[in-house]
Amino acid sequence: MEQATATVRVKVLFFGRLRELIGVSEEVSELPEGTTLSGLFERYAKRFPKLTEFRGSMVVSRNHEFAAWDTHIVAGDEIAFLPPVSGG
Amino acid sequence: MDSEQDKIALVRNAIDVETATRHVRAGQDGAIVTFDGFVRNESQGRATSYLEYEAYETMAIAKMKEIAERIHERFAIHRVAMVHRLGRLEIGETSVFIAVSAPHRGAAFDACRFAIDTLKKTVPIWKKEFFADGAVWADGELPPTPPSAKTAS
Repeated sequence: MEQATATVRVKVLFFGRLRELIGVSEEVSELPEGTTLSGLFERYAKRFPKLTEFRGSMVVSRNHEFAAWDTHIVAGDEIAFLPPVSGG
Repeated sequence: MDSEQDKIALVRNAIDVETATRHVRAGQDGAIVTFDGFVRNESQGRATSYLEYEAYETMAIAKMKEIAERIHERFAIHRVAMVHRLGRLEIGETSVFIAVSAPHRGAAFDACRFAIDTLKKTVPIWKKEFFADGAVWADGELPPTPPSAKTAS
């Protein structure tokens, strides 16, 4: 029998060309405890392989702050994958 | 330091540049420098039809406020107004407007320049350019990311 793993629930957002590419702008995701932002990206890349080629040209934010990819996700986080910004 | 008097906003209709400019003007000031960014009719030689802007609104507002706080710290300025428009914009319409007041012009020029340069690099807003024969997301800039969480702690 598989061991029960604690999970955390987070909100995940995609913007700009990333949103268009995968057709998802916002969803709630349930992840094993201890998942990093990088790990979260990998889960999406498995679901949407086209995302992989954009890995080098995006940043990630956690609770409205740009974050390092090895940051651990905590329950209730709001995570967003952001393409290069072009405001102004 | 007067950051609680700053006006930071995202809007979906025409930016009222006169109201924004008046907002930063006070008796103690001697200068206002404004930046009016508006939609150009071409992009890399292709005629632009119109633009669409989208934002991660909560984070964009937070980042714009951060910029205002930073220019208050770095330059001897009085007040800041910083407004970005979202949605569909036609040629010639203002997409971003910044006004900075100060007792003396030097600080206002420097702060306004710093504000628009930093906004373009760090505020999560995206521009899509529409042409007669298609549309593309503007190239943009990748915001700087913090160091690894392991070393940052």
